[in-house]
Amino acid sequence: MKRMDFGKRLVNSVLPVLLAFVIGGIVILMIGENPLDTYGILLGKSLFTVKGFLNTLHYASPLILTGLAIAVTFKANIFNMGVEGQLLLGAFFSGIVGTSLPASLNPAAAQLLCLAVGVICGVVFALVPAILKAYCHVNEMVVTLMLNYAMIKVLEFLATGVFRDYSSGYVCTPIIKENAMFPRFGNSKLTMFFFIAILVFIVMYVVMNKSKLGYEITAIGKNPEFAEATGMKVHKKIMIMMIISGALSGLAGAGYMMSEQFKYTLSFSGNPGLGWDGMLIALLGGHSPVGILVAAIFYSALKTGADHINLYSTVPKEIVSVIQGLIILFLAVKFVDEHTNIREKLFRKKTGKPETAISEEA
Amino acid sequence: MSIIKTIDLTKKFGDFTANDRINISVEKQEIKCIVGENGAGKSTLMNMLYGLLRPTSGKILLHEKETVINGPMDAIAHGLGMVHQHFKLVPSLTVYENILLGAELKKSSKSPIIDRKKEIDEVKKLIEKYKFELDPTDKIEDISVGGRQRVEILKMLYRNVDILILDEPTAVLTPQEVDELFVNLKELRAQGKTIIVITHKLREVMELSDSVTVIKQGKVVGNVLTKDTSEEELAQMMVGREVVLTVQNTAENKASEEIAYQVEDVCTINDYGKEVLQNISFCVHKGEILGVAGVEGNGQSELVKVLTGLMKTTKGKVSIYGKDVTDKWPDELRQNGLGIIPEDRYAQGLCGTMSIADNCIAGYHSVPDVCKFGLLDRKNISCKRDRFVKDFDIRVGDINGNVGQLSGGNAQKIIIAREFESNPKLLIACQPTRGVDIGSIEFIHKQILDFRNKGNAVLLISSELSEVMSLSDRIIVMYKGRIIGELSPKEVSRSEIGLLMAGIQNNKAKGAFI
Repeated sequence: MKRMDFGKRLVNSVLPVLLAFVIGGIVILMIGENPLDTYGILLGKSLFTVKGFLNTLHYASPLILTGLAIAVTFKANIFNMGVEGQLLLGAFFSGIVGTSLPASLNPAAAQLLCLAVGVICGVVFALVPAILKAYCHVNEMVVTLMLNYAMIKVLEFLATGVFRDYSSGYVCTPIIKENAMFPRFGNSKLTMFFFIAILVFIVMYVVMNKSKLGYEITAIGKNPEFAEATGMKVHKKIMIMMIISGALSGLAGAGYMMSEQFKYTLSFSGNPGLGWDGMLIALLGGHSPVGILVAAIFYSALKTGADHINLYSTVPKEIVSVIQGLIILFLAVKFVDEHTNIREKLFRKKTGKPETAISEEA
Repeated sequence: MSIIKTIDLTKKFGDFTANDRINISVEKQEIKCIVGENGAGKSTLMNMLYGLLRPTSGKILLHEKETVINGPMDAIAHGLGMVHQHFKLVPSLTVYENILLGAELKKSSKSPIIDRKKEIDEVKKLIEKYKFELDPTDKIEDISVGGRQRVEILKMLYRNVDILILDEPTAVLTPQEVDELFVNLKELRAQGKTIIVITHKLREVMELSDSVTVIKQGKVVGNVLTKDTSEEELAQMMVGREVVLTVQNTAENKASEEIAYQVEDVCTINDYGKEVLQNISFCVHKGEILGVAGVEGNGQSELVKVLTGLMKTTKGKVSIYGKDVTDKWPDELRQNGLGIIPEDRYAQGLCGTMSIADNCIAGYHSVPDVCKFGLLDRKNISCKRDRFVKDFDIRVGDINGNVGQLSGGNAQKIIIAREFESNPKLLIACQPTRGVDIGSIEFIHKQILDFRNKGNAVLLISSELSEVMSLSDRIIVMYKGRIIGELSPKEVSRSEIGLLMAGIQNNKAKGAFI
């Protein structure tokens, strides 16, 4: 039974990806290129060369963290849509701290301090919707979603005014001091940050699968009334989950700042943004930590592979955005199916054997 | 001549055969009872007749003609109507509006305006014809449950059905209302209607029906005329073995004077601000089972919610062995020695989509032998689950599967095992045997009595009067959020309690509060 369940979940995650690649392939055919060659370049360069693979891991680091940040709340049917905002706030202030540190500070201390600032900012920002949800029953989905846009504007104001680096030609904050930067390993982009992400992944794996908290998160997600009746203080758990989610988001932001961007720009998190990517990754990974790890690396491979497509073929790199969009679309179909049983209905029409939903009382 | 007949009617859900070659035949103008334990396949059979399910194979003959029923509308067109256990009425509309819902009478055929006067007249005529007691202009929310059921029946009669199927019609009624319903049904029979009643209450079968069909595990195991059979014989057919219908509380009252559980002056309001519990006071002694009787919806659910920490009091005090536990969380209550068998097992007691093992520790997942340093000890949890399954004879298909796969009785046994094994001093058992097969009922009743005999206290809340009467040492009756009487089960009859349940106080009820 469990194996069947696992199989179904695997299909649910792999099928949207395959469909996206098939339709992406049709688009490539229409451009006049061979889709197989293009996909070969796309995935070959980012997964099957040492340097490419290490870069892929590097870009996967923040995605693993944001994916986990989403999953830990979504699994309990609490929807923290504010990962992006929490990530940006964490990144911004870890960047500010990173620039204002004395250059003589021990690198390890500097890096630890910056990460801590990022985590704290993420947590504080996540606490706002958490308190509103747990104690005033305000819908967390709306609040977290809207606060993202508020935060982006606040940070834009801070970056263009108070903390602007006027020596730069465009809006950004000063570059962080060298002792706050994660050094790279060899000629790849890989840094300490990836190993921090893996460490967090292991901790979250244990928390979600083996701990009392994980058990309670699952129970709250599956049957909140049952959770409450068996003595789980649901509002307290909401706070804890949001704090964990905020901390992971903040950590992702700070780490990305210290390993990749080194300064806050208005396009710091890219488009659609690391927090939103995290949501896609959590869905693709079925909210399980291992699934998220695999999905994050795969997604990151698509991102790094895009540049190679530009270099080695005439297909524009935007094809990767097309594929990403298609994956989201097909994942959405899966949700439509879950909530309306559309597949069953279609199937029934074909075979002409109606099976009404009123079968639970046999 | 049989009005409705099935030939080898079979329904499969995947590998599971819910109905296996069912052959029944209902004569015109008879009352047919279909009995069987929960999960025997009664509802599946009726849903096939009513067009909600399609048979896998077999035929349905209406008026001796083979008929395919495509859905409820089709069934009604064929003269077949069903009254569901859970009423499908609009509470804010009146009786006549509900009866004519979807078949409104217009001023003229093209006019969009509803002719209220004509509608009321029409419904009045209908009520008089079948000698029902109803006022067409009353709102559904203001009338009794029995009245609502009559509206449901009229809804079908208005649509000219001549076969009526009633699914567990007495589950929600007081004994007096049950009697009224039976009078009504017999009147309908006299006027030429055929009635099929699904039930598992044998006393009612004997009183009401002309013939009985017994279904067990999806198969017909008996077809008898009511006058040729007895309650005991039917019960035997249903479970396929001799059963004691109820476990009797034979032990002499050994209750000590020591008070185990005290509830003083508890009041509460629901989400809409309505006072649903008014000054509830009672106590349970050590070694005593206190039964709470009452028709469902008279505050028992709210009382249990307050006592198990799911609802807050507005006033009053609750204490376990002298320790104040008013408005404590469920986990704190459990730490204070309270075991809880909740009212709705799949909402509050179990999580259907979690594994059996996970459900075995729910509520006790913080105790040291399953949880160390915040991490769960999976090995110990599995051991615990295996022990429960063995000791409580829980029949599971897949031991690693979800609780959702279990039948009602086995699911309930998981809760029983979990709560009893945690060694509580006080047990709140709410509807402990609802939807549970007879074999499990016996087992659960024995467990509760054994628990009491060890000197523990039990608060038993049940809408099943016979359960309360046979198990309790003392009974309190709830009506409209108040306790309206306290009785001894050995000194009163069913009908006396029935009167109290309907809110009619007689002089035998001693110590009636307020």
